[in-house]
Amino acid sequence: MAAALLLRAAAAWAARRAAGGAAGTARLLPPAAPARLPGTLAPVRHSSHGKRMFIIKATSFYDSRFLKLLRFYILLTGLPVAILITYVNIFIGEAELAEIPEGYVPDYWEYYKHPISRWIARYILDPPEKDYEKCMALLDVEAKKAEMRLMTLEARRLMRARGDGPWYHYETPDKNLTDDSFKSTPDN
Amino acid sequence: MPEDTDWEVYKAPPKRTPVGERATSLPNPVEFFQAVFNNVIDRPVTLIREWIERQQNRNKFYYYHQQFRRVPDVSECVEGDYLCFFEAEAQWRRDRMVDREIVAIVRERFAACQHREGPNQFQNCAKEMEQLLQVTKAYQDKYGDLGAHGNARTCLMKQNTAGFILVSGVQTRYCMGQL
Repeated sequence: MAAALLLRAAAAWAARRAAGGAAGTARLLPPAAPARLPGTLAPVRHSSHGKRMFIIKATSFYDSRFLKLLRFYILLTGLPVAILITYVNIFIGEAELAEIPEGYVPDYWEYYKHPISRWIARYILDPPEKDYEKCMALLDVEAKKAEMRLMTLEARRLMRARGDGPWYHYETPDKNLTDDSFKSTPDN
Repeated sequence: MPEDTDWEVYKAPPKRTPVGERATSLPNPVEFFQAVFNNVIDRPVTLIREWIERQQNRNKFYYYHQQFRRVPDVSECVEGDYLCFFEAEAQWRRDRMVDREIVAIVRERFAACQHREGPNQFQNCAKEMEQLLQVTKAYQDKYGDLGAHGNARTCLMKQNTAGFILVSGVQTRYCMGQL
């Protein structure tokens, strides 16, 4: 129907143009030439939504597959984490700063503001006092080992020098086995 | 979430411009834009924020600033007592963190004063400038040339050498004390 109207309008315009041309050539405004692709003569009029074209372009299969997979794997954990964090921030909210009440010893996770930090400090990480004591225990063990090593070196030195300790004993044959009596020949 | 600035701390003093008389009968366009902003943006945002705060106020909980016990200094540790060194080192690092925050706060106060006063800053901000000078000088004396790997022991050594340079009568045991 649209094509039919277009045909009729074009026919009327052509007729007007022919009549105008017969009447006179002087015109105030010359008719504008219709824009046309190079090499074409007239637009084709279909009775449908246009000819079906097979457009040749480079494949986007691999690119779109990559982007789909990327979005999927990021959102697979990203979305639950984002929802959890949003829920915590809106409905639980951060802690408020307060003075430590008299006689009250706060637990070690009550020194953090954000509820997720508090949860991590409470259930996942060790209390800082435990870390501190573990560190000090390691230092103590190493300090005692160093002290023991120095002491053994000193004891070894003294025993070697004085010869009165249990170390640096070399077994010598019994002196009762030696015969000190005078011999008949000098080379016995 | 990052620390929000406390708007009440560095509030400018109230302005003393007099209220002018209306010279025309035309409405002030600024009031129109203010009304638009208030109703379209400010009111909904405030309502949502208040709703969120109502949800959060149902179970409040608090956090505290941890108080650490004072332990003997590096200067009071016997040579070879590594546990004493460890505890003194931890205490020294905590003190250094606190001192850094103090310097940052004093600097922020001075910057706020500068911004507020504008061209009058050299007269009106003299107190803040003096305070900043004193605090930065003290920090420099305590932690100045220790470098990135400074620890309590190097600070003690610095204090021992600096004690010979200072004029007598000035407190020299300031490496381990508070700022």
